[in-house]
Amino acid sequence: MSYNNPFTAETQLKLSPFFERTSKLNESQEWRRWSGYLAATQYELTHDNEYFAIRTKAALLDITPLYKYIIEGPDAQRFLDRLVTRNIKICKVGQVMYTPWCDEDGKQIDDGTVQRLSENKFRITSAEPNLEWLDTNAAGMELSVSDDSKTTASLALQGPNSRTILNIIASESLDSLKFFWMTDTHFGDIPVSISRTGYTGDLGYEIWMDPKDALDVWDLLLEKGKPYGITPTGLQALDIARIEAGLILLDIDYISTRHAIIESRKSSPYELGLGWAVKLKKKDFIGKKALAAEQARGPEWEFVGIEIEWNELENHYRKVGLPPRLPGTAWRTSTPLYKGNEQVGYATSGTWSPILKRYIALAHVKAEYAKENTQLDFELKVEHFRKLTPARIVKTPFFDPERKRSCPQ
Amino acid sequence: MSQFDIIVIGGGLNSLITASILGQSGGEVLLFETRDQVGGLASTSEFAPGFKCNVINDVVKWIDPRVMKQLNLESHGLELHSPDIVRIALDTQGQHIVFHRDPNETAGSIANHSEKDAKVWKQFTEYIDKLTHFLEKLYELTPPKLPNIGLKEAFSMRSMLSPIRKHGTRGLVDFMRVAPMMMPELVDEWFENELLRAAISTAGIHHLSFGPFAAATGLNLLHQHVHSKGVFHNVQFVKGGTSELANAVKLSAESVNVEIRTNSKVCAINVENGVCNGVTLESSETIQADQVVSGLDPRNTFINLVGPSKLNPTFATQLRNIKYRGSTARIHFALNGLPKINGIQEDQMGMIFSASPSIEYLERTSDSVKYGRMAENPYVEFTIPTVINPEFSPVGKHVLSASVQYAPYHLRGMNWSKELKDQLKNNVIQVLENYAPGISSLIESSSVLSPMDLESQFGLTEGNLNHGEMTLDQFMFMRPTISTAQYKSPIENLYLCGPGTHPGGGLHGTNGFNAAREILK
Amino acid sequence: MSTVNKYDAIVIGGGHNGLTAAAYLSRAGKKVLVLERRYILGGAAVTEEIYPGFKFSVCSYVVSLMKPNVMRELMLPKFGLELLPLESTFTPLDNDYLLRTADADQTYREIARHSRKDAETYMRFGPAMGQIGMAVRPILETVAPNAIRPSLSDMGAMKKLLDHFKSLSSEQFEYLTKLMTMSSADFLDEWFEFEPLKASMSASGIIGTFMGPRSPGSAYVMLHHYMGDIDGAFRAWGFQRGGTGAVSMAIARSAEHFGADIMTEASVEKVIVKNGRAVGVALENGDEYCSDIVISGLDPKLTFLKMVDESDLPSDFVTDIKNFRIRGSSGKVNLALDALPNFTCLPGDGHHLRGAISISPSYDHLERAYDDAKYGNFSQEPYMDIILPSVIDPDMAPPGKHVMSCFVQYAPYDIKGGWNDQKREAFGDVVINTIARYAPNIKDIILHRQVLTPADLESIFGLTEGNIFHGELSLQQLFTMRPAVKWADYTTPIKNYYQCGSGTHPGGGITGSPGEMAAKKILGIWS
Repeated sequence: MSYNNPFTAETQLKLSPFFERTSKLNESQEWRRWSGYLAATQYELTHDNEYFAIRTKAALLDITPLYKYIIEGPDAQRFLDRLVTRNIKICKVGQVMYTPWCDEDGKQIDDGTVQRLSENKFRITSAEPNLEWLDTNAAGMELSVSDDSKTTASLALQGPNSRTILNIIASESLDSLKFFWMTDTHFGDIPVSISRTGYTGDLGYEIWMDPKDALDVWDLLLEKGKPYGITPTGLQALDIARIEAGLILLDIDYISTRHAIIESRKSSPYELGLGWAVKLKKKDFIGKKALAAEQARGPEWEFVGIEIEWNELENHYRKVGLPPRLPGTAWRTSTPLYKGNEQVGYATSGTWSPILKRYIALAHVKAEYAKENTQLDFELKVEHFRKLTPARIVKTPFFDPERKRSCPQ
Repeated sequence: MSQFDIIVIGGGLNSLITASILGQSGGEVLLFETRDQVGGLASTSEFAPGFKCNVINDVVKWIDPRVMKQLNLESHGLELHSPDIVRIALDTQGQHIVFHRDPNETAGSIANHSEKDAKVWKQFTEYIDKLTHFLEKLYELTPPKLPNIGLKEAFSMRSMLSPIRKHGTRGLVDFMRVAPMMMPELVDEWFENELLRAAISTAGIHHLSFGPFAAATGLNLLHQHVHSKGVFHNVQFVKGGTSELANAVKLSAESVNVEIRTNSKVCAINVENGVCNGVTLESSETIQADQVVSGLDPRNTFINLVGPSKLNPTFATQLRNIKYRGSTARIHFALNGLPKINGIQEDQMGMIFSASPSIEYLERTSDSVKYGRMAENPYVEFTIPTVINPEFSPVGKHVLSASVQYAPYHLRGMNWSKELKDQLKNNVIQVLENYAPGISSLIESSSVLSPMDLESQFGLTEGNLNHGEMTLDQFMFMRPTISTAQYKSPIENLYLCGPGTHPGGGLHGTNGFNAAREILK
Repeated sequence: MSTVNKYDAIVIGGGHNGLTAAAYLSRAGKKVLVLERRYILGGAAVTEEIYPGFKFSVCSYVVSLMKPNVMRELMLPKFGLELLPLESTFTPLDNDYLLRTADADQTYREIARHSRKDAETYMRFGPAMGQIGMAVRPILETVAPNAIRPSLSDMGAMKKLLDHFKSLSSEQFEYLTKLMTMSSADFLDEWFEFEPLKASMSASGIIGTFMGPRSPGSAYVMLHHYMGDIDGAFRAWGFQRGGTGAVSMAIARSAEHFGADIMTEASVEKVIVKNGRAVGVALENGDEYCSDIVISGLDPKLTFLKMVDESDLPSDFVTDIKNFRIRGSSGKVNLALDALPNFTCLPGDGHHLRGAISISPSYDHLERAYDDAKYGNFSQEPYMDIILPSVIDPDMAPPGKHVMSCFVQYAPYDIKGGWNDQKREAFGDVVINTIARYAPNIKDIILHRQVLTPADLESIFGLTEGNIFHGELSLQQLFTMRPAVKWADYTTPIKNYYQCGSGTHPGGGITGSPGEMAAKKILGIWS
């Protein structure tokens, strides 16, 4: 079935080096803006197949719009160690660390991964531009900060078959590549870096390459991956997957302190469920003093997973004579959470999980209500009327398959 | 590793004062000076064989009376000379305006140019004097940490308003009106004669990178006249040279057992987890102390000695944003005779001369700063120190020391090479020739200090003599930054006492006095 | 004097502030008469058909600072207020350009072409300034207290302001202090590095003032222009459909709706003062009108030195008013065009023509322009803020034709030798030559040219020295000192004589604020 309705258009937005292919594959022509790029919302008319590609096959996503910076020089490690909350000293060459970074008040600026490319060279990824912050804090250190956003193109290959596909193409086997490690290899004669990272909470890899090789790599992956169900995947499916994985999204689940304007919009890593990534034993880093104080007194807010309970939800709809309406895609509207008459939190993103068959969401909740299994009321609109329906605090990630971290024996 | 109660970095006037006061209260104080003599901007040295000069400041405009009293400077040998004539605004035709200590006599000199102006002169000096009373009180205080001041802090600031008792709220309003003014606005309200208007304006641009058309030159003018008791363009000379002021403070410090080490360059202020615990010298000797006080400017103190990686990002940004932009050069000439200036007798020469024919002249010369050039027709203010201190030169010979604006630190497409300094010198000589014809033939040798030289020799960032521009945005609770205006720094046990703090530059010692008070709190 | 001519209040001057005051007083049930010297209402906010078929906002040309509550309370949208967005700021450069638009991604990308760091900072700068604008708002909305002898309500107002300041964060307070005192160039240097960006942004700090971007004090004027966009949106300037005169007309219709009488070609000669009280006005044609109070919308110099006798005023007040600085520095060139200008650096009629076009390639360009004026000449290569109203509102010109409004600095009022026809044309020529440097076709498409020097602004619009703000926005001429200490609350030393022009707090721009606040103050006294 093909209607072959071709069209051409122009845009003021940025185009990734893969656009030549992605634009033709996008059957729905649904696009979103991502960091000023035109990024596919979904390729097919519905996103279901793309979502299941992530969870059961292999999904190919263009993640070029991520901001990327290269930090290089004798002080690179010292610089990053001061910048981020995790301990970069113990990050080995070829290792990747996910970390937040904060301002001096311990409020989160952004989060991303730090890749140690060599002893004195790192790549850091971020959701928002961070060049100015990096530059400001590099004063007096022997290093260079360069914007790698346009000089490196990247793809994410996520899903249970991702390793199989890469093993067919790459010159070296990825069997021994551990979770949050990376390696340099070749696709034929094209040099690429592959990190075992991703934003889906599944087995998956991210491939980093020179933009001039972008189309060749794309073609190769689609060709060799076809027997394994490789599927170009858009942001709609990714959003569901990342919520299932309990991963936060800047500007949706939190606001960068650099743009928050008012105090109440700012969050610390402790308030975003990233307390594990704050290494207070580290000698000194930006925000340490404030974070140590916060840790000592306990954070005011916590970031939790909630599950909206099925039976009550179904009841609400039954009362108006409808079957339960479930969100077909992930939503991003802040939704109140109550305990009794008091609002004690708000959910920032949520979705029906097709794989878990549960209605889940990520939420900010006042610390005293953040304990697992605490019952709260979630605000729900049933046929234009607001209802409260029970929701329970549950552990994240909601979905956490063995294969995400394991290596073949 | 030795251990002291307090280490003071820098041997300038304020550092010496802070050290001395802390020594008086029983602390074991150690002071380091990079150069071979203390004094900083109050230094006197030989610039040519047999010729000495006051390297930077020829005169003292005002000294904080609290410092005079607490350190008993007179008993330590300080002798100030207050000339009857404080300044002469030169006129090419010899119709100079002579500023006397007595305003009536000044009015007499002004009358040669304008009867109208002469009539209001006394009233003007009283007006300015009235406004400086508000600054005097303000200067004695430690600025509050704004905006969150509590009732207690507000109450402690009440003395600031005390001049209202004498001058009324109108006085305060006038102060708030004049401080943000530019020079033409101020003088338009009073005077018509251009030579006089320009001569007044020179007080507003003193050591600034702006010209008289800059807002808040009014504040700089008032700053020059604090404690001047109504004497416009007040100056005092120090017997034996400006360094004797520093020496008196040094003696006072030594009398309370402050240890002073010259030729000792501090190369790091040691900070561990946000707490300062001592310093490291260039000799790599580390000395511990409970408290460290820096008389250096904020950039030297924090960026160079503490290091940016020990500062929180907001503070580091604030520090980077402090404006220095030194624009004054100093030139010392060794002369083989006393220059002849049209219409001025030899015995009148012991004061300041200014070559400032018009406000437009001053403004035009200041334009050079914004385009990163050296002034072609600079504003020159000079003195002949040998008239007051004959020992500065061999008998019969003289020294002429000039402050030259504008010689910007930041030049475009050139740097402060020897050629450029020579060019500046020639520009200055040309200006001097207008008033003292034949002066060039008297010059035996000379020494030019560009802002770059001032930076390298005196540790003045960008050669700024005030450790930061004296502008409204770097005044009081904003000096040096909004978070550090209380002489305390965000680093525990590290304090500031130099001109980069409230109330700014000049050889008055208020910064050092206030800092000591805060440290002792 | 017949009883027919008896009003509760007479407003001198049918500028937008005078009309606003009149509308508020009428709305409160007062019988009000507005007297306008010209044939047309609006003062400096006026639309005139200078050339057949071509309509010009002759003087004031954009609206950004109009107070929302004035628009609501006077029901201005009902009476014709229609503000169209000015979408972009376009700075042509010699071989490139800088474009900032309403879209964040596009603006980011455009700035990032020149400096990535600036692109990032720009995204933070707008909201930060919006916050400061919000922090300043309470000052703008407070009737300036008497600083010499504060009344009880003055004390209350000051206490409220102090409490407000205490609620600011240290960072906000720092920015605020800096904006009040610094030069716009110094302030922007702390944020940005790309000079054309900084120069274009600094330009809002020199508009209407006799300062350069490097003159301390210009940052405040920049802030004054930033107060329009409280939500931190990109420069929320608007263009009134039909020109700025339509704003004035909307206010006039609102005033009439509430019952005000408005007369044009009614030039007031003098305010009639009896026993230290204003009791009415005398027109040039000999007519007299009496009223309980008289309100002047003119600038302070005219209000006090022309409309009344000095002998009716305290001498120190006269000195204060004489010392009030009101130096004009800007001119206006209005062009009727046969076609659109074509910019070499960005040819065609794209979106960049729908917003402001700023001739501000560098600080040096602006400073040199200022230097010329400082020493008594008009700028040889002036700074310009240009808009093409007909691109936004096609009704401004015949179909296919265009009008172009060029706000030009600097043109000093006190030019050496004084202004004359020859100098006016020479000034017009440098404006055209400067535009031609970036859009060479300009010379071929001009159908008609109107050049207004500060001297013209004075003679046509009654702006003393041609100052568009009725007095400079320097620190010592703000709030409790605007126009003079003790008389910054719209009252004057003459009983029943009030002031409501831009020369009062909070100053110039099409804000409606002085008019509104004066009217509310008067109504307070009345009750």
